Amino acid sequence: MAFQALADPTRLRIVELLRAGEQPVNDLVERVAVHQSGVSRHLRVLQGAGFVQMRPDGPRRLYSLRPEPFRELDHWLTAYRSLWERRLDRFEEVLARKTKARRARKEKA
Amino acid sequence: MPREERIVLSRTYEADVEDVWDLWTTKEGLESWWGPEGFRVTVHSVDLKPQGVMRYAMHAVAPQTIAFMKQHGLPTTTESRVTFTEVVPRRRLAYLHLADFVPGVAPYDVAHQIDLAVHGATVQLTLTIDRMHDEEWTKRAVMGWEMELGFLGKVLAGEKVK
Repeated sequence: MAFQALADPTRLRIVELLRAGEQPVNDLVERVAVHQSGVSRHLRVLQGAGFVQMRPDGPRRLYSLRPEPFRELDHWLTAYRSLWERRLDRFEEVLARKTKARRARKEKA
Repeated sequence: MPREERIVLSRTYEADVEDVWDLWTTKEGLESWWGPEGFRVTVHSVDLKPQGVMRYAMHAVAPQTIAFMKQHGLPTTTESRVTFTEVVPRRRLAYLHLADFVPGVAPYDVAHQIDLAVHGATVQLTLTIDRMHDEEWTKRAVMGWEMELGFLGKVLAGEKVK
């Protein structure tokens, strides 16, 4: 999953708007207040990253969210677990230093 | 969608429970290990009691971390906070981590609980992270989480590619 696709405020705003349902590009342009070419570029990035899909309807292009990325909760769990594993590794190192210092103080006393 | 969304991590240390507790609950202790690699953490305040708040800032310090944040339009310093929900000295610490820095995403809480058990000369630490089960909450929060973890994951991955 290309998370950085969501790190752009305009793209995040587009995703937010699409949570209300499928929408034509023109409506998005109006609500995001960004020029049409900008919105189209952002939509291409989002589409490439798998967040949105497009369906032609006559002359209109309708965009909607793809549910898959938002269902990938296991991914969240895995990522957050590994973040905490690494954090606890650092914790362990610092604690070992602290324990050593405590023992040294005890031996002195 | 409702299902178990809980992470449980358990570790055992040969250490004094007092030291373990201090590292989780004091400014000096937290600053020594809390921040992700590439970041330094400054703890502004710790009000260690139920409903008390710990405020801290995460600063990108490693050059490649700073470059990553700038490249993705993210601030190099992020203010954050946790709210303690349970404080039993040397036994249990519970807090909600409020993630309120994701643009366009309403603030949301994740529950963390740290249980300490002393067995002879060792301390067993069990960390339980609960993302809560409310479906509405999940919908609202999942994107924020993925973004937060996504960029942290990328930062951490970037660290390896030195």
